[in-house]
Amino acid sequence: MGFLYRVLRTIFADMEPDAPVQSPDLSGLLPPEEAFEWPRHASRHHNWEQAAARWQVLRHVYPDHPACWFQGVNALTQSAKYDKAEDLLARAREQFPNHPSFFAEAGFLDMQRGDLDSAQESLTKARTHLPKNFMTWVWSAQLAEQMGDYDAALVYACRATECAPERAGLFIEHANLTMRAERYEEAIEQWELINDRFPGLDAAYKGLAQAQRMLDGADEAQPESTKQDAPGLHAHPIRLIELIWTKAIFNLHSEVRRNYLSFGWWVLEPLMHLAVYQIVFGVLLFRGGPGFLLFLMVGVVSWMWTMKCISGSSGSISGGQNLMFLVGVPPIVFPSVCLLQATIKQIPVFLLLIGFVLFNGSSPGLHWFALIPILIVHALLNIALSLAIAAVTPMVRDLQQIIPTGLTLLMFMSGIFYDYETFDQKWHALFLLNPVAFILKCYRDVFIGGTTPDMAALAGRGAICAVACVLFLMIYKRLRYFYPRVVME
Amino acid sequence: MNPAISLDNVGIKYKRKGNILRPASYFQALSSISMDINHGETVGIYGKNGSGKSTLLKVLSGILKPNSGTITNHGVSVSLLALQAGFDPNLNGHENAVLGGMLHGLSRKQATANLPDIEEYADLGEFFYEPVRTYSTGMLARLGFSVAITTQPDVLLIDEVLSVGDQDFRMKAERTIMTRVRSQQSVVIVSHSMPRLKQLCDRIIIIEDGQARTQETS
Repeated sequence: MGFLYRVLRTIFADMEPDAPVQSPDLSGLLPPEEAFEWPRHASRHHNWEQAAARWQVLRHVYPDHPACWFQGVNALTQSAKYDKAEDLLARAREQFPNHPSFFAEAGFLDMQRGDLDSAQESLTKARTHLPKNFMTWVWSAQLAEQMGDYDAALVYACRATECAPERAGLFIEHANLTMRAERYEEAIEQWELINDRFPGLDAAYKGLAQAQRMLDGADEAQPESTKQDAPGLHAHPIRLIELIWTKAIFNLHSEVRRNYLSFGWWVLEPLMHLAVYQIVFGVLLFRGGPGFLLFLMVGVVSWMWTMKCISGSSGSISGGQNLMFLVGVPPIVFPSVCLLQATIKQIPVFLLLIGFVLFNGSSPGLHWFALIPILIVHALLNIALSLAIAAVTPMVRDLQQIIPTGLTLLMFMSGIFYDYETFDQKWHALFLLNPVAFILKCYRDVFIGGTTPDMAALAGRGAICAVACVLFLMIYKRLRYFYPRVVME
Repeated sequence: MNPAISLDNVGIKYKRKGNILRPASYFQALSSISMDINHGETVGIYGKNGSGKSTLLKVLSGILKPNSGTITNHGVSVSLLALQAGFDPNLNGHENAVLGGMLHGLSRKQATANLPDIEEYADLGEFFYEPVRTYSTGMLARLGFSVAITTQPDVLLIDEVLSVGDQDFRMKAERTIMTRVRSQQSVVIVSHSMPRLKQLCDRIIIIEDGQARTQETS
């Protein structure tokens, strides 16, 4: 472009600007459309004065091309040189008496000068004579907006986009106009259309968001009732409990739906264990005898509660890795959910046990009230054991491997299918140090022996378990940030 | 500007190996990051894979505690836009939506109150009452996004989630995110696409070698 400019300057060095034109020798010059790129380049950068100067030069080279004249007028109007623009427009009209661009440029000039009525008149003619020029429609839209007629303005802006569907700017202008007309729903459609047609435009994204926000604001889309107070599970113990409860219930639903026999398994599973032990110990090993089935049942039912709590909780924190990372669920939630699930499943089994006892065991009496403290201590024991194991396994993953074996050992040491009283007396105290064995003994005292268990010993163990539970709750709270890291590392 | 969350010289390191028996070796994910997230602004976090972007989000959301430096939350609720967090395939969309809301920190009542909005937004029709395991990937993404977006924290953290569902739903998701971006809510977006961040954000924080530098966008 610079080269072309220098060549042209040399050719016309001795000429006065806009002096009467003699047709120069055009051979060897650029084709007009290529040459016009030169001022248009300046226009695209809104360098209107430079554009006007370049059109002025080109008018000498291509005097028969209306573009040099009318676009020169436009550049002068844009650079606010209205008098020069008017002068040039008059001369252009002399040169091209019936050229339709005259109306468009005259309309634009009048509009810029604030003479809206004349502008209206010229642009009306331009729309008739020059309907394919998108600028006609752009200026018509601008004028209509200035006169407050948004309906017309929107129609004109839309026509502009139809004339030059490849120009994103026209669509953006249309959408912006719709926004100014406060028709946000339409604007959203238009911004989406722009997003579709010209992907990746900043303006379209921002416009879309703005429209959406204005629409929401206009609708009062956020009434007070939907405003939620600060989420954050840690700060709300009640929500935490609610979450644990809901998650446990939903987990049970999910588990039940996986199987054909659904809830049936809650009762069937312990009964199957019972059958196996009865066959092995009662029949094959001749350990049975009158009352062995009831003895076994009390043992199996209460043991299975503890076993399910521990085995469920042991891997629960590692299993909750995703939730800890994504939504910051506190680690205490995971073993608690397992505990609650195991406990809920225990209820029908326990009722079944009571039914069985009513037919075969001790008749109900005041000693049955001892079941309440027994159940409480048993629950505390399960909580303490499960929380402890769940807390340790993420730190020493290897523990996960020995838990099944450990549980088997605990089962054999708790006297589920044998009576510890057949041992030598001196071992009894040692045997009952195992809290699971002690709890089993308490149940059997009530259900089989028909007596109240050793309440002092029960209270002592209950107190130890309660202290352990509180301690673990504190540890979990303290290690809240520790577990996500441990699980990840 | 009012800061909502401030980080001061925050450093995070992860243990790479080592246990009780062997000495530990560490990987320094973030070395010293200082920044403020102000009320109502949209901040982009840009960095290459493994530069510590997601770690930074975890620090901001309060899930990870820094090894050095301090993070101050000026009393705002923060939530990571986590899609499909905790979805159970055997539960239906409705149940998962309740659970999802609660996992994001809502009470059960609030989570239940959000259900009509979620159902409408996810637009799954009858499938909303079907087990989630019968969903297509796109449907799952729709439900996940709908659940996550209805919890409205003061600071929303987004980790590259805009590619959810089909074309229509993606537009809708983008629109909603944009609404949040332009609202009074603070939004932090992590991405490795600079043009995307420039479109959305007031300011971009570039994470390089565990350090942060800020770049203003126009």
